[in-house]
Amino acid sequence: MEIDQTVALLKRSMPFQTVPNDVLEAIAKLARYESYARGDVIYHQGDFADDVYIVSSGAVQHTLGIGFQAIHPEKILHSGDVFGWAAVLENQRSRLAKTVCLERTELIRINGEELINLFKASPETGDIVMSRFATMINKEYTLPEEVAGHVPHFTQVPVTVATGLTLTMFRLSQWLKSPKPYLMLTGFGILLATWYFTVEVWKLPRFVDMPGLTEVFKEWFSKDPIYGLSIYTPEYYQHIWVSVRRILIAFFLATVLGVPLGLFLGWSKTFREYVFPVFETLRPIPILAWVPLAILMFQGSETPVIFLTFLASFYATALNTMLGVETIDESYSRAAACLGASKWQTFKEVIVPGAMPFIFTGLQISIGVAWFSLVAGEMVSGEFGLGYVINTSYTMVRYPTIVIGMITLGIVGYVSSALVRVAGDYMMQWRVRELALGGR
Amino acid sequence: MNTITQNQSTATPNSVNPKQVGEIKVTNVGKTYGAAQFAKEVLKDCSFTIERNKLTVMIGPSGCGKSTLIRLLAGFEKPSSGTIEIDGKRITGPGRDRLVVFQESALFPWMSSYDNIMYGPKARSENTQQNRDQAEYLLEKVGLSAFREKYPPQLSGGMQRRAELARAMINNPDVMILDEPFRGLDCMSKELMWEYYSGLYEESHRTNFFVTTDIDEAIFLADRLLIMSNIPGQVRAAIEVDLPRPRRLAFVFDNDRAIAVKMEALAILHQEAMKSFSGGSKAAADFVEAYSKRSGGNGSAGSKKPE
Repeated sequence: MEIDQTVALLKRSMPFQTVPNDVLEAIAKLARYESYARGDVIYHQGDFADDVYIVSSGAVQHTLGIGFQAIHPEKILHSGDVFGWAAVLENQRSRLAKTVCLERTELIRINGEELINLFKASPETGDIVMSRFATMINKEYTLPEEVAGHVPHFTQVPVTVATGLTLTMFRLSQWLKSPKPYLMLTGFGILLATWYFTVEVWKLPRFVDMPGLTEVFKEWFSKDPIYGLSIYTPEYYQHIWVSVRRILIAFFLATVLGVPLGLFLGWSKTFREYVFPVFETLRPIPILAWVPLAILMFQGSETPVIFLTFLASFYATALNTMLGVETIDESYSRAAACLGASKWQTFKEVIVPGAMPFIFTGLQISIGVAWFSLVAGEMVSGEFGLGYVINTSYTMVRYPTIVIGMITLGIVGYVSSALVRVAGDYMMQWRVRELALGGR
Repeated sequence: MNTITQNQSTATPNSVNPKQVGEIKVTNVGKTYGAAQFAKEVLKDCSFTIERNKLTVMIGPSGCGKSTLIRLLAGFEKPSSGTIEIDGKRITGPGRDRLVVFQESALFPWMSSYDNIMYGPKARSENTQQNRDQAEYLLEKVGLSAFREKYPPQLSGGMQRRAELARAMINNPDVMILDEPFRGLDCMSKELMWEYYSGLYEESHRTNFFVTTDIDEAIFLADRLLIMSNIPGQVRAAIEVDLPRPRRLAFVFDNDRAIAVKMEALAILHQEAMKSFSGGSKAAADFVEAYSKRSGGNGSAGSKKPE
């Protein structure tokens, strides 16, 4: 085979694709051409690994040994495919696979050591080729990363494992490099621009009385706010804290009561017959319809608001938990029974974790409706809180303060549901990985 | 630790002397679903024995009541008539003497491979060092050591089935009952699974009952082959598959004896399959005839005996 033919073949093979021409020519000089007949075994598993092979024409069956943890141990290689890569792995001097020619096959072979010596002279290229080898071993030959990790390194860059802060910084820089943050900023930009132009520039008919963008932000960040509420006034934080505390109590109660109720509703058919019809009758009653009863039932202004907030959350949590139990595949409980688990163990170890994804979906909805009903409750009764701020600002004609309250609600609400999501991901590592694989 | 070695041999706990247990006697079992005129008779007067410390494979046309039979053996359902006994005791419900591996994967997705395998011992509060060693041993045996901390959704279909086999094996049941466990795997993983599974069996020689619709799978694995009739299900024939162990793919499918058994089984299966076409099918009959000619015309290759 001519040198330029070999170079052309190398260029088609995955690990050598990006190598500059002068290095390719040097590699091509190392290559020897060989031809095999149908049925020839090129090497057996356990043979000494000396050369790397690149198929020029024909087909080779490549069967990895059982102990190497390949997901797909069999692979048919065609023109341009590379095999025999054990010859370039460090600490690996024997073949991992058996290779048999399925038809007349022509190939070139390159001595692994000579190849590595050549790369020592051009370490940057060598590292690229070896990292491509590693990818190929991992992705195409479906071997674990540990195996692929044995390719040699040529440049002297200290390799550190990223952890903690370094990892966070790395992820942050990756995020900043992706289009996501800029799309997000554009989204907010459009919203704010629409607000600014409709109210302050074009002064559309019904928008005249609305507080404008500049007015609201000036007030919000003012050390001496005209209407008495800005990020520099302690009252602002008191309102936030009161609302957050109500949410925390209501959400906690809803979770502690709603999750077990949902689990039992899903698990016990008898219990369900008693409770579910009652539950379904009460559930459609809007939270606002409960306001008078809540005020009659509970003393003071705090407990009625917490009760109203709790109620909405509770329904969402219980209902989703129940659905979660219902969607668990029966084969899991059957398998647990077969393996000797008692009824209680099955509940604890199969039903509860199996329903977990739905429970967390429920909690996400629950925290959302909690804010929703909190504001409703605070507008009717209560002396503090963001809902109260919005309502009193309206009656006292402090329009910019209304918008400050609304934006604050949006931010605090977003943070709270993000926290629930993070907690869910943390508790359900398996689910995160399942979703990352696209639910295979 | 950096080299990749193929055989890291560990001591094999629990594998020396197989327990002489697990004989299942099925006597005149019938199972009917539904009542009165809507009744559907799935099994009728079905009798056979699953012999001790043998791998018995049951094969039959689809919809012949195999899965019903499995549910009866597992104890999830009760027969309408007849009895099922294990080592002389009537089966009345699920028990830990029998372990069933079902068609669909039932690995718990919220547990790692290792935790899945250890689930049985932990559920029975037998989280002992011996069982933990056994779990490691089985993980290695089914080629999943590197995947011990991975969750089932991260494994391929074949790996999931292997993990499930290990999860059943660790409990050391008297009888392992497997309901088409390799159904839906691609051809390559399926053949690999046969080797894994027969390797595990050859090591333990525990009583195994394996149900399948795949004739090659049946012959590769079986010590004894039971052929089911069409619905209502009965055992039509039993063939001793006296091929040597350990079995290897290349050997089994290149072996005259294996081919003879296959022909014989196919002939019976086709007869049964044809019953489901009204009046039978000419093409199927020709097919069976062609097969029996190829096998040398000797229809009595195996030691067939009606049960």
